[in-house]
Amino acid sequence: MNDPQPVQNSLKSGRWIRSTCKMCLHSCGTRIHVTDDGIVNKIEGDPANPSNNGKLCPKGNAAIMRHYDPNRFKQPMKRTNPKKGPGEDPMWEPISWDEAFEITAREIKKSLDEDPRKILPSLEDFQKFNIWVWPLAFGNFNCFQSGGTMCGGAYHPANGYIHSAFAAANDAKHCNYWINNGTGDGFSSHLHAAAQSNWVANARIDRGMRCVTVEPRLSTSAAKSEEWIPIRPATDRHFALGLCHVMVNENLVDYRFLRKDTNAPYLVGADGYFVRNGEDKIYVWDSVENRAKPWDDPTIQKLALEGSFVVEGKECKPAFQRFKDILDECSPEEMETITTVPAETTRRIAREFFKAADVGATIEIDGRTMPLRPAAYNYYRGAQGRKLGFQANHAFKMVNFLIGNIDAPGGHLGVTLDDQWVDNSHVAPGENGMMLPNPHQLGPVPPFAYPPNTFHLMDYFPVGVHPPHLNLQVFQDPEKYGIEFTPDVMVICHSNPLWAMQGPRKEWFRFMASMRFIVVSDIIPTETTMWADVILPSHDALESWNMTMIEPPHTEGMCMRQPATEPLYDTKSEEDIFYGLSERLGILEAYNGVLNMAQGLEHKPELMLEPGRTYTDKEIADRKGRLWNDKGIDWYIDNCAVTERRPDKWYRPWEGMRLHFYIEDMLHQRDQLKEKMEDHNVPFRNEWYWDDYSPLPTKKLDPVHEEPEEYNLYGMFFKDIQLNFGESIGNPWINDIVYRDPVHIALMLNPKTAAAEGLEAGDIVRVESPYGKIYGRIGTAEGWHPDALGVSNSLSRMNIKHKGVPHAGGHFNDMLPYDLRNTDAVTGQPETVCRVKIIKLDDWPEGLKQGLTVYDLVDDIQKPGKGRRH
Amino acid sequence: MAIQETKIVGDSFQVGVRFQRYWDTSMANAFFCGELGAGLFFISYLFNFVSGMVAGMLITGIFKTYFHMTHMGVPMKSWRAILRPDRSWISRGLMAIVFYLVFGIAHCLNLTFHLDTAWGLGSTVGYIVQLLAAFAALVVMTYQGFAMSHSKAISLWNTILMPISSLTYSLTGGAVLTMLLVNLSPEKAANWEFLTGGILLLLLIDALVLVSLLYSANKRSEGGRVSTLLLLTGIYRQAFLYLVVGAGLILPALLLWLLPGNFAAALLAAVAILAGYYGYRVLVFKAGVYEPMTSFR
Amino acid sequence: MARYGMVFDLKRCIGCNACVIGCKQENSLPDGMFFTRTLSEEYGVYPAVNRVYIPTLCNHCEDAPCEKACPSGATYTRDDGIVMVDADKCIGCSSCAIACPYDQRSQIDKDLLSHGLFGTDELTPFEEDGYKRFVPGTFTKCDFCSERVDAGLDPACVVTCPTDARIFGDLDDPGSKASTLIRERNGKPPMPELKTRPKVYYID
Ligand SMILES: Nc1nc2c(c(=O)[nH]1)N[C@H]1C(S)=C(S)[C@@H](COP(=O)(O)OP(=O)(O)OC[C@H]3O[C@@H](n4cnc5c(=O)[nH]c(N)nc54)[C@H](O)[C@@H]3O)O[C@H]1N2
Ligand SMILES: Nc1nc2c(c(=O)[nH]1)N[C@H]1C(S)=C(S)[C@@H](COP(=O)(O)OP(=O)(O)OC[C@H]3O[C@@H](n4cnc5c(=O)[nH]c(N)nc54)[C@H](O)[C@@H]3O)O[C@H]1N2
Ligand code: SF4
Ligand code: SF4
Ligand code: SF4
Ligand code: SF4
Ligand code: SF4
Ligand SMILES: [Mo]
Repeated sequence: MNDPQPVQNSLKSGRWIRSTCKMCLHSCGTRIHVTDDGIVNKIEGDPANPSNNGKLCPKGNAAIMRHYDPNRFKQPMKRTNPKKGPGEDPMWEPISWDEAFEITAREIKKSLDEDPRKILPSLEDFQKFNIWVWPLAFGNFNCFQSGGTMCGGAYHPANGYIHSAFAAANDAKHCNYWINNGTGDGFSSHLHAAAQSNWVANARIDRGMRCVTVEPRLSTSAAKSEEWIPIRPATDRHFALGLCHVMVNENLVDYRFLRKDTNAPYLVGADGYFVRNGEDKIYVWDSVENRAKPWDDPTIQKLALEGSFVVEGKECKPAFQRFKDILDECSPEEMETITTVPAETTRRIAREFFKAADVGATIEIDGRTMPLRPAAYNYYRGAQGRKLGFQANHAFKMVNFLIGNIDAPGGHLGVTLDDQWVDNSHVAPGENGMMLPNPHQLGPVPPFAYPPNTFHLMDYFPVGVHPPHLNLQVFQDPEKYGIEFTPDVMVICHSNPLWAMQGPRKEWFRFMASMRFIVVSDIIPTETTMWADVILPSHDALESWNMTMIEPPHTEGMCMRQPATEPLYDTKSEEDIFYGLSERLGILEAYNGVLNMAQGLEHKPELMLEPGRTYTDKEIADRKGRLWNDKGIDWYIDNCAVTERRPDKWYRPWEGMRLHFYIEDMLHQRDQLKEKMEDHNVPFRNEWYWDDYSPLPTKKLDPVHEEPEEYNLYGMFFKDIQLNFGESIGNPWINDIVYRDPVHIALMLNPKTAAAEGLEAGDIVRVESPYGKIYGRIGTAEGWHPDALGVSNSLSRMNIKHKGVPHAGGHFNDMLPYDLRNTDAVTGQPETVCRVKIIKLDDWPEGLKQGLTVYDLVDDIQKPGKGRRH
Repeated sequence: MAIQETKIVGDSFQVGVRFQRYWDTSMANAFFCGELGAGLFFISYLFNFVSGMVAGMLITGIFKTYFHMTHMGVPMKSWRAILRPDRSWISRGLMAIVFYLVFGIAHCLNLTFHLDTAWGLGSTVGYIVQLLAAFAALVVMTYQGFAMSHSKAISLWNTILMPISSLTYSLTGGAVLTMLLVNLSPEKAANWEFLTGGILLLLLIDALVLVSLLYSANKRSEGGRVSTLLLLTGIYRQAFLYLVVGAGLILPALLLWLLPGNFAAALLAAVAILAGYYGYRVLVFKAGVYEPMTSFR
Repeated sequence: MARYGMVFDLKRCIGCNACVIGCKQENSLPDGMFFTRTLSEEYGVYPAVNRVYIPTLCNHCEDAPCEKACPSGATYTRDDGIVMVDADKCIGCSSCAIACPYDQRSQIDKDLLSHGLFGTDELTPFEEDGYKRFVPGTFTKCDFCSERVDAGLDPACVVTCPTDARIFGDLDDPGSKASTLIRERNGKPPMPELKTRPKVYYID
């Protein structure tokens, strides 16, 4: 054993290559070590990348185990067992790519020729929008898109209205007071977890940034914060309105910002619309001259934010006053009855927040003097995944509006999805001095139609992203919605809807069973691949090319992915797969046309794809690289193309325009939709939740609070840094850490709640909501709101053909509602919290005793002796 | 921190008490055989009872070696264990075993064939040899206890009571086996009453050591408390109370006390004592837990 | 000669255990085996409750009980203070594991190596390549990534830590970041009462 060779993997002889992580949807820079024998033996963060700064989260560290996972799909396969269902072995039979393409194209074409709407795609790779947009090549707006079902529905449109951006983040570089509400941002999830936690840790420790986390559970964010404010689930909007109440009533407001940079002074009539003159100019009130003037009248001396006026015979108030009126009923005491957050805490936080914002302070960056507002309210999925999701988003933004930190250094900043090219600005001027609202960050939504053209009713969510859960509603009662077609083909790539969707699996299984043909492209077996007729296995991220940068909070540029090894198996890139299908379906030209538009290639005509040919992943990546900075793929192999975001793009890119404090467009959208529904006599128009549309957030309760009282607790789920949804489970390195973490191994309750329910840690229970049920084992910890029952995503996987994926006791999502009542009528965002009751059991129900469960693993780890099952 | 709050965390990533997972049953077997053999040797030595000494050496030499080897990760290299007597009790113990066997055999040969006088070496040499053998046997009886007591990690073990309990238990076991063998062999080297009386006394001492061990562990630290609780109220309660205490101490004491001179009772008592002793060896390993990591609350 | 040590900034650590996987990657560790673990501890009563994350690894004790217990001389300390195990000398007696108060020793189990990470009794190419370093039956532990350190690099777990909660450096150099942090933020070694003189410090 006198081996002079190093034994540590990163020091073995071999080469390092630059690439990009893809263990979650984000895109941290990596360097990959490949031995002389071509074995990938180490992946590290790319230290040259200013985003993740050489860091990788646990998932990023575990990519090698996905690459070498023996459960990977190794060649195209077709199903030989015609019976589909849970536990039904598909009895895969290997087939050639030719045959796989042939069958798939033939089956898709059958439906395509009859009615393209019969095709239900779910194409989810956030790092490859070129695949995402494929259905547009045959004009299909249908979707079974699993991604975003529970997160972005309202979030992205809200950011589109307010920042003209896809997402938003607090400015870790300058912020000194960071409120994290229902998000792991900076600690465990949301944007670039590895990168963002580095930025936030540096801000916390080096600059002493104070963090306050508002969450029903003591999340990582809460644990690392100076203060954890436990809150009853699904009441965050009310907490934010309570803060706004205090701020507005105690004059803790950046009035200058509201007057100059927002439409808060614009006069709003009783109907909610702005009051306009004959030239469509919106009125404001000059409180010096005490009369109304068009917003751009150069003689205006001081804009009124408060008061009640009559203009052109119409009663009206400044938008700010309208908000103040709403806040009258949102005192912290009143909100406390909903949120359980003590009124005193709300008052204190409001004051601390305002104080930290240092209103009036400025900073000079790159010769530009800007307001410095080092305080910001950050939030995401947990706080805004609500029935009234749009209003929730708006309420959180309002806290930021009031201190004037929108897109200000230190404040709350818009984050673009993918910058595409260097000198692209994501903002544009709109009407009446306002910024152009841009709610459709992912491209156009389908136009109104009745009978609907989409099976998930996207025809009626003109502001939204997509409500795929409604597929199930419509499936259960197609007549009610006037559906004239029946989807019968699913095209799924990089998506696991049978895991991701809310509503009972049982019903989704029926939906799946109703399909004539299902094709899935994935790399490993999942809940969804169990239902496929044909598997088109794709390369994994260590075998393929790509070029992207997803929602980078502090940086811009492009992250190049390159193969570290030859494909291990007979797989193809997603590009090859979808070009292969397009060719056989005869939609190649249309697809390239869609790509030219959606990928922004039109902006550099020399990069446009030619109609009649196919492109490899490398060619597409090369074009995206050139689109960004005119450099080809070879340049990216040698250079890191990521830089810190340039201040002019990052800070107040809308300078000179007014932001939408008051979102009048809500009313336009509502009334236009109403009118069209009336015109078409849409039978369910009276059931539509028209109240959801509001230009300002209100204190209306979400319906989850109105469920029958016997469901006395709130069931909620959460992501974490080790887990990409539930997907990374099965990766042995991830399993090795996840099932050792007390957060991930039981249905969690506060011990007092458990005692009140007659439960103890370790008890086996059934949890029921009005919509579905799960089984599990109770765990207790003090870091839980007494009204909450928390279920980690680690406990959500089902029995699938992957030995490393232990199942738990059913899937949390079974308990979530999937109906219109619990869907934001503005955006399609569904409710992601449910009311539950707990029933103690003596033993597991029969079906759950078989196979390796999470609890078996956990017991093995915790008992004496060497333990550990393999 | 109150004991109820102490978490046994296994190999999970929590602060709390972790089970010792390295010394398992094969190690308990080795300890048991090593101590028992040396104890038998030692007691028999006191009575110049050669068959007992030989049996003791066989038990140590064969069984202890076997179980040690099965425990060893790289048995082929186990000779290396002898290399650091300056600091490692394992090295010292291994050397002691070698001495014990070499000088023990020499002593037995000498007793049988009077080699010292036959070879004209004088009785001093024979005397030195037997003293060395006896001393080495004493080391073998206790070194494992010393190795355990040097573990700062495991409070249950980290006490001078560990080698003491090794000593008293091996003496008890040795006395029990001697008693049986004396009865079976024609040598009749020792007095039965004297032996049973000694055993009763040793049982009392064992019991005292055991109580002190638990008492001191319970007082010493959080890990010690958990170990004690594991034995008295936790998962090892039944084995500990019935096997170690009931069978190992109380039952034989009653049998030997109430039925003096009854061979069947003595046999039963012997089996019970050895079972209890073995149980003690296994359970002391199983109940060994690492102290929880410093809390940084 | 340097005297290497590590500082854990408990304010920074988010308990993500990226370090654990980073280490498993670097050192090809089999299933269930760790050279480092980040523990969590919750304390207090709702709502005044909090959780702290405590990274742990071999403390490279100056007065290392494992070294004292080792009968074969396999465990030794390098001049730069890194406590090493020479796999060629280790006999797998487990004395070091019993002696280490921090439970930082693990045995290379032959079955673990042959079962493989996916439990299929087949090894991935990563494992085929990586497991060559191990002598089955021997005990092993964190060696502060001695090969990386010799090459002038930080240990793998340090490099990947998303929050820079792990600071590696020369404790004899008063100007090193590690020394400075220990000084300025009152670094505390783990379980100092055991007098093992760890070269690992916690700051909070
Ligand atoms: N590590 C990791 N990062 C990811 C992902 C991942 O799976 N893993 N997924 C990506 C995607 S697609 C998304 S959408 C984002 C989501 O990123 P986050 O929004 O950070 O993720 P979640 O964990 O879904 O929700 C955040 C928190 O909300 C809490 N929560 C649940 N219900 C409520 C409630 O009613 N009120 C409040 N205040 N909190 C509540 C949960 O406890 C959780 O801690 O992350 C992205 N990044
Ligand atoms: N209970 C619960 N439900 C949730 C959530 C939750 O946190 N908890 N989160 C919700 C949210 S916010 C979202 S966005 C959705 C997400 O839902 P999905 O988008 O369905 O997310 P994943 O489960 O990650 O599915 C991604 C699939 O892509 C596959 N894949 C990975 N890499 C590749 C590759 O390179 N090529 C191909 N072809 N496939 C690949 C994976 O194997 C996996 O099957 O789930 C929602 N549902
Ligand atoms: S945050 Fe996402 S992209 Fe970054 S290292 Fe983790 S898994 Fe990879
Ligand atoms: S990687 Fe860093 S932050 Fe994560 S657990 Fe390890 S030390 Fe803590
Ligand atoms: S921590 Fe344990 S293994 Fe490391 S040097 Fe100290 S005693 Fe030895
Ligand atoms: S197992 Fe190896 S390193 Fe540990 S004490 Fe025994 S010989 Fe030394
Ligand atoms: S220093 Fe190296 S061997 Fe030690 S825990 Fe960190 S990565 Fe593992
Ligand atoms: Mo999402």
